[in-house]
Amino acid sequence: MSKSFDVELINVQKKFGTNVVVDDFNLQIEQGECVSFLGPSGCGKTTTLNMIAGFLEPDRGDLLIKGKRMNGTPSNKRDLGMVFQTYSLFPHMTIFENVAYGLKLRKVSKAETKRRVDKVLDLVKLPHVAERYPKQLSGGQRQRIAIARALVTEPTLLLLDEPLSNLDAKLREELREEIKRLQRDIGVTTIFVTHDQEEALYMSNRIVVLDHGKVEQIGTPWDNNRPASEFVHTFIGKSNRLTGVVERVLDHTLELKTDTGISLRAVRRNDCFAAGDKVSIYMRPESIALHVEQRHSAATNVAKGTVKLTSFLGAYSECEIDIGQTVLTVRLQSVEQDGWLSPGMHVYTEWKPEDVFVFARKENGR
Amino acid sequence: MSESRRRKMRTAVLLLAPAVAVLLGVFVLPMLYILLMSFQNKQEHISLVNYATLVQDPYYLQVLWRTIKLSLLTVLACLVFGYPVAMYMAQASSKMRGIVTFLIIAPHLVSVVIRNFGWVILLGEKGLINNVLMQAGLIDKPLRLMYNELGVVIGLTDSFMVYMVLAIATSMYQIDVSLYKAAGILGAGKLRTFLNVVVPMTLPGMLAGSTLVFSLSMSSFVTLALMGGTSVKVLPVIAYEKIMTELNWQLGASISFLLLFSTVALVTLFTRLVETKRYKEVFSS
Ligand SMILES: Nc1ncnc2c1ncn2[C@@H]1O[C@H](COP(=O)(O)OP(=O)(O)OP(=O)(O)O)[C@@H](O)[C@H]1O
Ligand SMILES: [Mg+2]
Repeated sequence: MSKSFDVELINVQKKFGTNVVVDDFNLQIEQGECVSFLGPSGCGKTTTLNMIAGFLEPDRGDLLIKGKRMNGTPSNKRDLGMVFQTYSLFPHMTIFENVAYGLKLRKVSKAETKRRVDKVLDLVKLPHVAERYPKQLSGGQRQRIAIARALVTEPTLLLLDEPLSNLDAKLREELREEIKRLQRDIGVTTIFVTHDQEEALYMSNRIVVLDHGKVEQIGTPWDNNRPASEFVHTFIGKSNRLTGVVERVLDHTLELKTDTGISLRAVRRNDCFAAGDKVSIYMRPESIALHVEQRHSAATNVAKGTVKLTSFLGAYSECEIDIGQTVLTVRLQSVEQDGWLSPGMHVYTEWKPEDVFVFARKENGR
Repeated sequence: MSESRRRKMRTAVLLLAPAVAVLLGVFVLPMLYILLMSFQNKQEHISLVNYATLVQDPYYLQVLWRTIKLSLLTVLACLVFGYPVAMYMAQASSKMRGIVTFLIIAPHLVSVVIRNFGWVILLGEKGLINNVLMQAGLIDKPLRLMYNELGVVIGLTDSFMVYMVLAIATSMYQIDVSLYKAAGILGAGKLRTFLNVVVPMTLPGMLAGSTLVFSLSMSSFVTLALMGGTSVKVLPVIAYEKIMTELNWQLGASISFLLLFSTVALVTLFTRLVETKRYKEVFSS
């Protein structure tokens, strides 16, 4: 028998009119996993989640929850928990009633309801607000209650649609820690929608990167080092882009030359380039090192440049280095930068072949 | 008082003065005069004789009760028929919403008198409904659909439902659609969502609509006269009769105040009943 999954999406497609919003979506989620949907605004994250939740019907493909086909089953029969971006607590019910609502619908006894609501309110660390109304809580507290309400029925699957995006940065970090702890403790299978890559990396066992309704990559957070496409590489974090051509293809490395004449070597990652291919070359700001003098005589993976701008950003600093027609953003630990870099200074930028990412460049020259 | 506040006060006084003057002249002063009159006997001496009559003669209490009953029935009918319309409007596209709003307001561009004659064509003894039912052989003598209490409730509902619909729709627009989704995912079907989320969240709209429709129905005159004929007597109608046919202004005045007082008392009572502690916590800002 094949392995059973908690959630399976098979060739799922959704159109609005002629606009294909989700296309050929395939995904399998194991029991207890936390999977993030990551992608820019409008890429179809909410639409996919809404299909899983039963608010929308897929136009094509199958949706399985615990091995049962769910197409056509209304959302109230799917036994899911969901947390919305806007909290969506019932304003006319107290916090207790909000959390207890799912249990009331399941005809759980009064005593048992009380016990479970108290327990879950303890879990989200808000046992003292039971008698209040939602508008008497802060945004962060409301979101915690929304999580409690979603968890109290012990759903097969927990859906979180950008649950933190309405909160300020500090609270966001605090709450994501808490959600992660809860998720791991309870072991509930979870789908977490976000457009924040850091959140996705932090929260999940696997990340599904979406672009224009298509799955670009499904991988673990460590798979960042093996991006499946230019989109995935650029979406997950900042990166410097250079354009160039492939000069030589070796067993494990590529030799490249940028349009501005810089020679590079890059580690090969299951690509199939041939000499002469036009490529986009990427290097992340944190993988570029700065030196005042040239260290090696070798002229590859080094470029001479001028410091244009430095900005202090707390834990790190970023500086822009003009290497002739291209400006590289370089990220340094703050202590490293401390005072020795100033605009106008000449420096050498240097990087390692394994930090260079190469993607085929489309003919239209992008 | 600071200079800027004084200037603001002066602006406010200037802006409100014309309206206050008009209200004082055409509303407050005549009302006070009528109030005074209600405490006078025919010889224009101060007396409680009018109110004594109202309390002692069961006829007036019957009429009062009928007025209240018909108004409550109208409120009920407006709720029952208006609620689905408001629900439709809340989920319709903005284009359809505009069309429906126009359709429910449009009849009010026509005078009440004309509109009520429209009902005669529909509900009269030889009206459309009776005709069709007779032709179909479902009844053998015409149903009495107007010139009775039923006709009055139909006419009043037709006149005032628009207020109910707009009041409920307004509070329904304010419900975040994600609340429906939240209820659904927690296990509520359509009916449960309606009863547990939609109804409680539209209480303010229902209260506002009911208050309006109730007060308007209590004091309605034209519809009563046309749809009720001579048989359905309510307070505004008998006040009119006392003053215009019996020339008993004093008794007419006291009937008017009985009407005013009972309307205010009932609306207050009703509002108190609905505005529980929870209602206030949830809906007060
Ligand atoms: N009901 C609808 N009718 C027509 N188009 C829709 C509808 N809902 C969504 N879309 C379109 O589908 C696309 C995907 O929408 P979706 O809400 O899934 O995006 P998202 O990934 O959740 O974005 P965000 O991060 O901004 O929430 C968008 O282009 C949107 O305009
Ligand atoms: Mg979304």
